[in-house]
Amino acid sequence: MTTTLTTKGAGLELHRLSRRVQQQTLLDQLTLEVPPGEILALLGPSGCGKSTTLRLIAGLDPASSGEIRLGGAVITHLPPAQRQVAMVFQSYALFPHLSVERNLSLGMELRGVPKSEIARDLDQVLALLQLEELRTRRPAALSGGQRQRVALARALLRKPALFLLDEPMSNLDAQLREDLRGELRTLLRSTGVPVVYVTHDQHEAMGLADRIAVLREGQLQQIGTAEELYNTPTNRFVASFLGNPTINLIDTAELQLGLRPERLELAPAETPIARGWSALEGRLSHREWLGDRVISHVHCPSHGTLKVIGDAGPIADAVQVRWRQDAELRFERESGVLLPLTTRSQ
Amino acid sequence: MARLALLVWSLGPMLWQLYTSLRPTEALTGELHGAASWTLSHYQQLLQGDPPFLLYLFNSAVVGATSTALTLALAVPCAYGLSRIGRTASRGLSLLVAAAAAFPAVLLFLAMLEVARDWHLANNLLALSLPYAGLCLPLAILLLQASFRDLPLELEEAAVMEGMGLWQRLRWVLLPLMAPAIASASLLIFIFCWNEYPIALTWLSRSDLLTLAPAMARIAGSSVYTIPYGAFAAATVLGSTPLILLMLVFQRQIISGLTQGAIKG
Repeated sequence: MTTTLTTKGAGLELHRLSRRVQQQTLLDQLTLEVPPGEILALLGPSGCGKSTTLRLIAGLDPASSGEIRLGGAVITHLPPAQRQVAMVFQSYALFPHLSVERNLSLGMELRGVPKSEIARDLDQVLALLQLEELRTRRPAALSGGQRQRVALARALLRKPALFLLDEPMSNLDAQLREDLRGELRTLLRSTGVPVVYVTHDQHEAMGLADRIAVLREGQLQQIGTAEELYNTPTNRFVASFLGNPTINLIDTAELQLGLRPERLELAPAETPIARGWSALEGRLSHREWLGDRVISHVHCPSHGTLKVIGDAGPIADAVQVRWRQDAELRFERESGVLLPLTTRSQ
Repeated sequence: MARLALLVWSLGPMLWQLYTSLRPTEALTGELHGAASWTLSHYQQLLQGDPPFLLYLFNSAVVGATSTALTLALAVPCAYGLSRIGRTASRGLSLLVAAAAAFPAVLLFLAMLEVARDWHLANNLLALSLPYAGLCLPLAILLLQASFRDLPLELEEAAVMEGMGLWQRLRWVLLPLMAPAIASASLLIFIFCWNEYPIALTWLSRSDLLTLAPAMARIAGSSVYTIPYGAFAAATVLGSTPLILLMLVFQRQIISGLTQGAIKG
């Protein structure tokens, strides 16, 4: 890889960005780009470095090495105030002693924005986020969803060149989260700036983001659209992190197969296997009825339990689980790396 | 019943002082038999004395206010700093501060007298706030540091992202949220200064500059033959009234300040 970046765009570019604290590497040489108007989700389990990345971009923590560019300019060592970056915190971090209105205007006032402009922008953003009725309330008197909107409004008023969101949905209940996803996506899109969105919830990432970067232990595993990540994960970690129910992993003699539950079919036991198909015999051990689908757990001796989306009659019956061989994901057993198509011959 | 007992236990001595202050001297020393009347003579005696007793209260208030202001001006930045530097460094420094708080102040008197003489600080009310602030500082730092630490870091980071500088963050975000802690710390400092005796006794000699504690000592020891119980009790009542009023005014802030950190909000 060359050290020069390929694009001189107006978006966000991270180049071999690292953060080390004492002996620990929290983020290891992360390189990625977010063009203007794109929403990139940083996805991974806790401790994977996604929040670290966000804090580095925001300037709240210093980078150990690497470079951050925003709109073509290097901002790696600029103080947060000069970065033109707005951040929505996980706790929303609204100032508890100030009304909604003051929460929104305080920063602008202290930045020396003229009074008339503050009033105009404030009215505009309050209308946009339907907060007019709440302008005199304190944060304590707001619901979770309202607090989130205030936090978003505060970030919008910053007129940033980059939007950072740190798990903005994690304090909301599940129903509200799903309802807000579309709204939030539209709002973030309308700003026309790059958006980096940190989450540990795959559904949120898939539903909200244009592209997803999956991190693990400070290292980028894969970056791409939800579809790319789901269908052609670079390794076992990405494959098992995305998808619900999680991917089935079966050990064969020389490698490991990844089988998505919806790609599996149930058939009567001992059905003859057609060309281009594989099958395992098992016993139906458990069935989850979820309304829109049924997840059958099929216990296959020596391979463990496979989750299959599909219904298969009474429990404890012998069934066959079969799948098309071209639906298999093949991983190297030790490293978990996805084997390319060319080596897929058995 | 238990509550009543507790109430008598804590309010009893104060009420006894109030009662004493309103009784004629003869009734207090047992020379008068039978029913005695009530009197305000002790208060009259104090208020019309030379200098009038209210001057002592005023002196104490001046010393208390300047000492509190000085202590806070030094303790707030220090506590903020301690709460924001790394954990190991702050633990070491906090231990030193705690050691300073635990140091017996009595051992400092002689040295402080020397200081007062060399720097001509004797008989100067405002100068008294120097040793007072010095003595209160460790405790104030420890108290404020704990409550700085209780403020969520994200709040300050949000202010940073809003483009606020250090002083702006302190002025607009941190200090307003610290108000309860600052109120209770101020009150503790003020009470200390109000009650402080040995330093005031040794640094002040002019009678129009005396603070409450040495002034009361003079009343108590004004005569070898009689102990002026009544006047003394009246002085106690007058001396503690301002503190009680302060407490009532700031009651809510103080209570929330003292219990801060007890539970995670």
